[in-house]
Amino acid sequence: MADEIQMKTAAYICSGCGLGDKLDIAQLGKIAQKEGKMALVREHAFLCNSAGVQMIRDDIEKEGVTHVCIAACSRRAKTEAFHFPTVAMTRANLREGVIWVVAEGSDHDEVRQEMADDYVRMGCAELKKMKLPQGNPNTTRLKSILVVGGGMSGLTAAFEAAESGYEVVIVEKQARLGGWANKLWKRVPFKAPYADPQDTGVAGLAARVSSHPRIRVHLNSTVAETSGAPGRFTVKVAQESGAVTEEAVGAIVQATGFTTYDIAKLPELGGGQANVVDQAGLEALAQTANGGVLKRADGKEVKSVVFLQCAGQRDESGKHLAYCSGHCCATSIKQAMYFKDANPDTDTVVMYTDLRVPGMGEDFYRSAQRKGVIFTKGKASGVEAVGSSCKVNFKDLILDEDTSLDADLVVLATGQVPSAGVDLDAWNKVVSEAEGGSEAAKQNKSELQKTSILNLTYRQGPDMPQFKYGFADSHFICFPYETRRTGIYAAGPVRRPMDMLQATEDATGAALKAIQAVENASLGRAAHPRSGDLSFPIVRLEGCTQCKRCTVECPFGAIDEDERRFPVFNEQRCRRCGTCMGACPVRVISFENYSVDTVGNQLKAVEIPDEFSEKPRVLILACENDAYPALDMAGLSRTVYSAFVRIIPVRCLGSVNTIWITDALNSGYDGVMMMGCKKGDDYQCHFVKGSELASYRMSKIGDTLTGMGLEPERVSSYEVAITDNERVAKFINDYVAQLVEMGPSPMKGFG
Amino acid sequence: MSPSIATNQTILVVGGGISGMTAALEAAECGKQVILVERNATLGGRTALMNRYFPKMCHPTCGLEINLRRLKGNRNVRVMTMAEVSSVTGQRGDYTVTLKLAPRYVNANCTACGDCAAAVDAEISNPYEYGLSKTRVAYLPHAMAYPMHYVLDPSIIGTADAGKAKAACKYDAIDLDMQTETVELKVGAIVWATGWKPYDAAKIQPYGYDRFANVITSLEFERLADPHGPTGGKLLRPSDGKEAKNIAFIQCAGSRDENHLRHCSRICCMATLKQTHYVREAYGESGKSTVYYIDIRVIDRLEDFYQKVQQDATVSFVKSKVAKIVEGKDGNPVLHGVDTEGYHRYATAHDLVVLAVGMEPETNGIKLPEDMLLDSSGFIESSQDEGMFGAGAATSPLDVNRSVQSATAAALRAIQVVHKTAAAEGAK
Amino acid sequence: MSDSNKQAIAHYRNNFLKEVEDHVEDGEWVRMCMQCGVCAGSCPFGPHWEHSPQKIFMMIRAGKREEVLSSDSMWMCTSCYNCIVRCPRKLPITHIMHGLAHYAHRLGIAPKGQPTREIARLFWVNLARTGRVNELKFSLAMYFKDGFVQGIKNALAMQGIGIGLMKARRLNPMELLGGHKCKDKDGIHKMIAKAREIEERKQKFV
Repeated sequence: MADEIQMKTAAYICSGCGLGDKLDIAQLGKIAQKEGKMALVREHAFLCNSAGVQMIRDDIEKEGVTHVCIAACSRRAKTEAFHFPTVAMTRANLREGVIWVVAEGSDHDEVRQEMADDYVRMGCAELKKMKLPQGNPNTTRLKSILVVGGGMSGLTAAFEAAESGYEVVIVEKQARLGGWANKLWKRVPFKAPYADPQDTGVAGLAARVSSHPRIRVHLNSTVAETSGAPGRFTVKVAQESGAVTEEAVGAIVQATGFTTYDIAKLPELGGGQANVVDQAGLEALAQTANGGVLKRADGKEVKSVVFLQCAGQRDESGKHLAYCSGHCCATSIKQAMYFKDANPDTDTVVMYTDLRVPGMGEDFYRSAQRKGVIFTKGKASGVEAVGSSCKVNFKDLILDEDTSLDADLVVLATGQVPSAGVDLDAWNKVVSEAEGGSEAAKQNKSELQKTSILNLTYRQGPDMPQFKYGFADSHFICFPYETRRTGIYAAGPVRRPMDMLQATEDATGAALKAIQAVENASLGRAAHPRSGDLSFPIVRLEGCTQCKRCTVECPFGAIDEDERRFPVFNEQRCRRCGTCMGACPVRVISFENYSVDTVGNQLKAVEIPDEFSEKPRVLILACENDAYPALDMAGLSRTVYSAFVRIIPVRCLGSVNTIWITDALNSGYDGVMMMGCKKGDDYQCHFVKGSELASYRMSKIGDTLTGMGLEPERVSSYEVAITDNERVAKFINDYVAQLVEMGPSPMKGFG
Repeated sequence: MSPSIATNQTILVVGGGISGMTAALEAAECGKQVILVERNATLGGRTALMNRYFPKMCHPTCGLEINLRRLKGNRNVRVMTMAEVSSVTGQRGDYTVTLKLAPRYVNANCTACGDCAAAVDAEISNPYEYGLSKTRVAYLPHAMAYPMHYVLDPSIIGTADAGKAKAACKYDAIDLDMQTETVELKVGAIVWATGWKPYDAAKIQPYGYDRFANVITSLEFERLADPHGPTGGKLLRPSDGKEAKNIAFIQCAGSRDENHLRHCSRICCMATLKQTHYVREAYGESGKSTVYYIDIRVIDRLEDFYQKVQQDATVSFVKSKVAKIVEGKDGNPVLHGVDTEGYHRYATAHDLVVLAVGMEPETNGIKLPEDMLLDSSGFIESSQDEGMFGAGAATSPLDVNRSVQSATAAALRAIQVVHKTAAAEGAK
Repeated sequence: MSDSNKQAIAHYRNNFLKEVEDHVEDGEWVRMCMQCGVCAGSCPFGPHWEHSPQKIFMMIRAGKREEVLSSDSMWMCTSCYNCIVRCPRKLPITHIMHGLAHYAHRLGIAPKGQPTREIARLFWVNLARTGRVNELKFSLAMYFKDGFVQGIKNALAMQGIGIGLMKARRLNPMELLGGHKCKDKDGIHKMIAKAREIEERKQKFV
């Protein structure tokens, strides 16, 4: 273990890229040695070239250096060269952070040098509090994967994972595999020529799954309880008979699909009438017809049919589904073909407002037109039963007139409603009311619990957090699989409305993510976005006051509570954002290489000029994901900002502990800037809640500042996007100007 | 460090855009060895040239940053830029791939200090700005370039600038003698994440993209709106540099058209709705966007984005495929056509026209291995031997989110191939 | 109402689309229209006719038989082919429009007195007589189609052009006396009669 080895520190100061021209390198070396107390200090004219790197490598191997401070360019640059996995490392950013952003000219030599001096001090100070992370010692080896749901998505996920060499367990609540796909007569084509409905293929897939040597199937079963974490989940599978079996799995794919929107909620469109069916109802008629002419429930052959698209969807009134289910246009086209293929003389009309058949769906649309399906751009206002047929009243949007059509059968293209389990917002409200003693809430809680799918024993509720409209999706565009429950991935229409082709693609991706989760867990390292990170939160329980902030605020539900209300960390669920560390009022949570001390030491290492110097000092805590790169790119584009700021990157603003702010202000900083990602509905925080929590915490800091006799403006928060290199410089310059106007902090000299 | 020799356990990913990076990283984070090859000088692909993503209006470089960090921290992926696949032989589990490496004239010593760019004089049309601006012949592709190395345009060779660039470099990073190299690799599976290209708008003759300065493509509009772009994020029209406030967006420019692309390019409706936000952000109530469309194809959850735009009084929708554009006074394009909802004829002048150009496979016009199965538009369906897979927009016109899904799935398919190859070899 | 029109109505009842597909040249393409409107915007006669091609196609699908067949739109087509060139579904729009015009004419329900229809009719009558077009007689027939007084007015209004044409030897006043004709006039007449017979056969709706 690293801490058994004698710590030996070394600082390497580069004079390349103009650093040597603009800075007194010898002085930086002296600071590293005397103030930073580095055991070894070396300068190099071109540290990132092979000779420079070899010098560092030799020191590590021959001199026993365990801790390395590199004073050169940004931590984002030259990562291939400065790759020393066996030592703890800090980077003092003298290039992007100093010489590229401080104004040119000898007038600025003094402040430029002071800034560089401080960054070297900070690098050394941080280094001394760092340890090389050793990885989570509680690694787990379970690599099997649980798939909840045996429909097309679940079967695909299971089959693909099994084909990749992993053991799979499927839990399906029905008596047979296949889900909705079993109820379809045909499916939309996946491949060229996109001309005709195709066999669903579900029977073949179900058979391959059932006979696969690495897949076991529980039918008539549900998940009664899920506990544990990636690499060590324990799942209780309850059979209809009441029997319960236990499965130990490493990761979970939730492919619980959807239900159709209830047409009884659409009486104005004829929902409830005998000759009005939804798309699922039409599939049933097609299965009965078995390729022959389609007949209604009363046995009459259908000679005319109208499909009404967007029934109860794309609704702006708030009564029905607000979203579009994506698949229904192609589904109606497919169903219209059932009629045309069986009897080309059937009058078949698809009524739409926007016909949505993206990609090669356009060919499928053309094929239907070729078969004689009529497409009418119109908006139906009502469906009436007239005798034994239906009258569809609608506005023809092209011919701009109110008119009507008679049809033997009307098909409503209703949408997909996700089967995602318990909505955690509702759950948490009920739980806190129940804890307050409300009997009604306790009753509600047990009712809600019955609707749960995963029945997680997590502190934060029994299912995955839901996103808009009840889908169990992630919010990320670039990282669609990132759910807020590590090692549990959603696949198929439970995640977003989708067709079968997309669902199978999606399930294949989800299977990969599940595989990745078990592999990461077995190596004791983090999952996305800090993938590969070996650090993990360490808690000093003897100092804990059981305040529960960490367990409540963890965006990933990684922390449970034991019966004495102490936090129980599940490292495999943890994403290493540090939100718990930021939340902890008694500061007992830390990472080996990122802690209250690593940051605290840095900010205290800065030399604070006295109040007469006219040199304010501003601490910037910048999110390393977006704000820090933006600051870097300000350097790259040589955008000038004030040399009075000292920047410390943080994992997420959520990890900012308020002690850093009070420490900074106590030690004489004139102001603190917090730079993080956008929060709110369209949040861009990579840890979902981090920037929002930070903002909440900062809203409470005013009282503390008043208590210290400081103006509330001494702490300010900014939402910074990665492209904001110009804006961020302006933020800094404006804020420094504001502080100059306010005058120096009254705390100066007391620190 | 990085794998020096590829084996039949290695996965080759062709294309370093969002899909290729995703496929490579997802496989690597499952413990597999991956080689990622990119034809350009930097990873990032087309998304790096976008201003924002729909529907969150967030920044593509944000996701790129995370992916680059994953890449920097993962030694299972070896990246080769300026590398093109010239041939593939063999079969599933045992491919031999020949790569052609174009000279960058800059080696890994480069610190991105920028001294070479400052030293040279000649300029070229900037390939990372769709030619909307110029760049020096020694240049950094963009601020998020990876590798963060400058590149010399081949036109510099033999000119005085070549010597100037070399003399300016203090780090011996410029090597003017670099030649095109050929490298052979053994790999087990191949993921083709070769992406898409915009349909050539000049082929849509009635719209006059090649004749009228103020008719531009949606991709060029992304550059105009980007604060890092050629106009610093101002929506300035090309003819006279004036602010374009009254902007027309023409949907299906090339898509859903048997004279051009048979397919619907899926993303263009959302992309246009997103771009109306740019107009809104730039001018508030005084801007005006008009969307000419056949069907607004905003699939699934994104519907609310459409609803919000519909409520914006500065945006109007006309159900019409524009018939033609003529140039009116002051260089204003005048759109002619008929609003088919109720039949209203129009001849409307705008400051600027943005063509929502369709997506076609980047590989159209490039010879792919004969084993590949393509659809009628040239998108990759699969390979006959099931050892090569398409990912992302190479397989279908996809948005970023779906491209990433597709690439993740493709990564697993490739993993299956190398897993089975390993199992078969283990059994021998 | 003409017999053929009655027969058609009886045979197709409400399925006007089917009727068009069966009897109109390239009528089977009508179903392929996706209502983008590019034809409507591309037609140089756009501002002058009542219904655009795309709208005509929608009306056919909506069963608006009377309105379609009595529309003046298809008579306005000048065969510039802009619509065909631009149609994203490659519909032969020009041909369909001519086909519809022809069908309406055959059924006897094309708009009466519609000028382009009238010019076509006069052109045909003139041509069918001798197998060659007699420009002078054709011009005069056009001038006098709305009566004698109007004919004189028209002729006076056009006299400049007429004199110009004569000077250029493009118009021969002697043509009024019989004029030039093709070699086998009878043969032409037989050919026309045969073609008419074939067309008549097509018009049967059983």
